[in-house]
Amino acid sequence: MPLGLPSPQTLKEYRIWDSYFTPSHSHPGRDGSSGIFADIERALPAMRKAHFEKACHFPHVGIGTTTDAAYEKLARSNPDVVLQPLERWPKLLLGMIQLNANDVPASLDALNRWLRDGPMLGVYFPGGGAGALACSHRNFSPLVERIIDLNGVIMQHTWFKTGGKQGPGESTPSELAALAAKYPEQKFLCAHAGGEWEQGIRAVAGSPNVLVETSGFDATAGFIEMAVRELGAERIVFGSHLPSRSLGTELGKIIGAGISDNDRKLILGENYRRLLQSALQK
Amino acid sequence: MLNRRDVLELAAAAVAISGGQLAAGTDSATDRPADFEIVDTNVSLFRWPFRRLPLDETDKLVGKLRSLGVTQAWASSFEAVLHRDLASVNQRLAETCREFPELIPMGAVNPALPGWESDLRRCVEDFNMPGIRLLPGYHGYPLDDSRIPELLKRAATAGVVVQIAMSLEDPRTQSELVRIADVDLSRLLPLLPKVPHARVQILNQKLRAPLLTQLAKLPGVYVDTARVDGTDAVPKLARSVAAGRVLFGSHSPFLIPEAALIRTHESGLLDDAGLRAVLAGNAREFLELNS
Repeated sequence: MPLGLPSPQTLKEYRIWDSYFTPSHSHPGRDGSSGIFADIERALPAMRKAHFEKACHFPHVGIGTTTDAAYEKLARSNPDVVLQPLERWPKLLLGMIQLNANDVPASLDALNRWLRDGPMLGVYFPGGGAGALACSHRNFSPLVERIIDLNGVIMQHTWFKTGGKQGPGESTPSELAALAAKYPEQKFLCAHAGGEWEQGIRAVAGSPNVLVETSGFDATAGFIEMAVRELGAERIVFGSHLPSRSLGTELGKIIGAGISDNDRKLILGENYRRLLQSALQK
Repeated sequence: MLNRRDVLELAAAAVAISGGQLAAGTDSATDRPADFEIVDTNVSLFRWPFRRLPLDETDKLVGKLRSLGVTQAWASSFEAVLHRDLASVNQRLAETCREFPELIPMGAVNPALPGWESDLRRCVEDFNMPGIRLLPGYHGYPLDDSRIPELLKRAATAGVVVQIAMSLEDPRTQSELVRIADVDLSRLLPLLPKVPHARVQILNQKLRAPLLTQLAKLPGVYVDTARVDGTDAVPKLARSVAAGRVLFGSHSPFLIPEAALIRTHESGLLDDAGLRAVLAGNAREFLELNS
């Protein structure tokens, strides 16, 4: 029963790796896992339908990225709670920790604990919540430099919102482009392509080490075509934003776009696997 | 002269005869008859004012809809967003829809313009349109405008449905020069009980409780699926409102049509009967009630 989807065989051939899976994105649940588990279960039917191979989520690791003091204490005192989703779904899940650029020492410790010594492949810098800080802030320098040392992947939340930023901690694609220029050896993922992607794509077009991630806004037509035209298909990475967004919206953007199937494969998995290569090999 | 029921029946017959019930999905290697009839209650023709869209040429849009198994699409015109000569907008819409059996025209009426009554009359009498589409946000009037009750009464008397677009674009991505807030639909709550025979479909809504449930309790209020998001959003919407009130709509070509279609079934939470109702059954009943 396709109803908008390619055949199961085609979906398998795409080898979809999801770079932006958001179960309980803002809070994992008071016990550290129940919220995430419930949201993963909620998303699984769609992920199975589309034959996702991998999905990367962004756990909170007790460095002040939530406003829940009890959870923050739990994650610090019992860090195994952070690993529970990865242990429950070892073949499916990947992880990148949420960093709090407002607290550089705690974030540097977390990088050692979770990237150097742990299974996480990179970091997520949020655009809202307790851990948000605009990526133009000088605090980012020591963190990015350490991430480079650790071969980590960086996903930075970005939006160009009509009317201006929702909060001072939000980053724009232009701010990410400026940061990326300081570290040309590091690849950066521009989450949501800036949301208002006509400007977002333009903002990062001249930054060869910035790739755009595709989730987080309505399935507005023309986005992927413009991104392929201006950036090249090699600089676009699929994200699902499940379960708060949908397979329809996010996978629909890629399969509904007027691009070649080869470009679709790049966007849906090959680019992300290439990006993760050095992180996965460590 | 054909009435609206005739127009709809002829459209359905023409598509069936032409083999328009093509396989849904995008993989030609698995062409097979569509399992589900699909009526898309929310498409628009011609150019979106702020950028070109890949499917903004009607033959391309219809080709895409056919490839997805859509057998009927209720189409208004993007020209109505900014044009004031809605008589010519609706004429072009009607003429273009006549070229494609799947397309059912929904003319635009702007009660803030002088002579809006004439636009409504022409949609009904000259073009046999089964419905009209309102764009309150872009036309600059609230839903408790003094002309709205009269518009709804005239539409109900004429037996045409009224689609109200809550939005056309996420406010966060709009042009800085043309910023349109989502329409305040709460203003329908005191109004609609006074027009008991009105049939209103809200397009592009992202309503939450309690307003969604309050509106859905009113007789004659229906919603579409174009902008509800979340992996289980469509089944949740169907559970939140009275049976039969959720109509499939894609808001294409502004939004990618595959998106709304996949969203109806990705969670597996709607059974076949529920899916058939959302995809087409509810839309047919919605129009039948007004024929």
